Amino acid sequence: MSNLFKTKFDAAAIVLIPACIGINYLGKLFASVLKLPLWLDSIGTCIGGCLGGPIIGAICGAANNLIYGFTAGDNITLIYALTSLGIGVAAGIMARLGFMKSFPKAIVTACAAGLTAVVISTPLNVIFWGGTTGNVWGDAVFAATQAAGMPVLLGSLLDEIVVDVPDKLITLIVVFFILKGLPKKLTTLYEADSEIERL
Amino acid sequence: MKSISLYVDNGTYLTKVHPFTKLAYIAAAISVPLIGGRLWLFPLFIGVSICFLASGKILKRAVPLIAFSFTILITIFLIHGLFNQQNTQVLFTLGPLRFYREGLLYALHIGLNILNMLLSFAVLVLSTKPSDLVDELEKRGFSPRFGYIINSVFQIIPQMTGTMSTIMDAQRSRGMETEGNLRTRAKAFIPLISPVVMSSLINTRERAIALEVRGFGAEKKKTWLKDRPSHPGDRAAGIIFLLLIGGALIWRISTWL
Repeated sequence: MSNLFKTKFDAAAIVLIPACIGINYLGKLFASVLKLPLWLDSIGTCIGGCLGGPIIGAICGAANNLIYGFTAGDNITLIYALTSLGIGVAAGIMARLGFMKSFPKAIVTACAAGLTAVVISTPLNVIFWGGTTGNVWGDAVFAATQAAGMPVLLGSLLDEIVVDVPDKLITLIVVFFILKGLPKKLTTLYEADSEIERL
Repeated sequence: MKSISLYVDNGTYLTKVHPFTKLAYIAAAISVPLIGGRLWLFPLFIGVSICFLASGKILKRAVPLIAFSFTILITIFLIHGLFNQQNTQVLFTLGPLRFYREGLLYALHIGLNILNMLLSFAVLVLSTKPSDLVDELEKRGFSPRFGYIINSVFQIIPQMTGTMSTIMDAQRSRGMETEGNLRTRAKAFIPLISPVVMSSLINTRERAIALEVRGFGAEKKKTWLKDRPSHPGDRAAGIIFLLLIGGALIWRISTWL
């Protein structure tokens, strides 16, 4: 349990964070260039969580939203800093537990990250947007539940599940293949249990 | 290379105001209407923000920020106007659609809150250089390591978008389809993103070594490259904004009792 949250705060970890934030940005950019109906804006957060552990994942996620909120004018993302933080922590914990080692296990990680995002985002959606998410498919579901007379919280929860779980599923699949392709000399930089041999 | 920051130095007074004063204004503009709980407070602060933006000659550049959130505002109005649970009184009908008073009022509340947030943030975002904000935060004891993270995001992203367009051209020239139906577009995602992500992650190793060599981890106290002359107006404005928040709190509590 103790090394689940163990984190190295050396230069390698500090450099990883901006790279991950950049990757988040690119994921979002590609998704909009290719007009995909998903966000795909947490690829970097998940990579950060898987490589550096839950704490680095949390910092990647929160810093990502805070930086865009305060500088790029996209301050709607500001309130979702909490969600990103949760995704980073979830991906980090699952990776440390060994749930990124094979493809079926990566799917489990994706479900964990997706459900974390759902649980954190739903109250935020209800408070700030009255339940909508801004995604066409999700909002169609929300409108249908409202027309059927279901409570706002339940409608918003379904709205989030429809959008977030597939989104995180694809994100984690992409992350899994990227991590598999990374050279060993890079991944060893972030291994928390590594020890320096002295002669 | 295009920066992701929206700041442009146009020399107006707003660019010279201390970043913390603008942060205090954001805090006041967002919290006073929420604490006060009256609908007219939202348009009041929206008006004030527009005045600030206009006086700083950045009103035109704030328009795209607001246009961006327009679609979500419309969905909110549609969904709550048509389907909100508290809907009882029909306000007007548009063909087969019936819009209700309660839902529209609720949507108006949310919409004004969002507009207010967007405009007050625009005052900061459009007139402050990100590295100035980070510098000031570091002077007040913010961790320089986090300061580095924020500053380097602004350097890395233009680099990455540059790499991205190179890779997009390269993959297209190899015959990859990036337009067409959803399946084709989804299939293009992985071959486009993985080279950029791989190369940027591999670059982090060299960057880390370069930083360590230059004494990034040194414990010695560091000095500042730029000195910011303090302005008496900043202090006064900051106090006024904090007083406004306090006033709203007192007013709310007193109306409660």
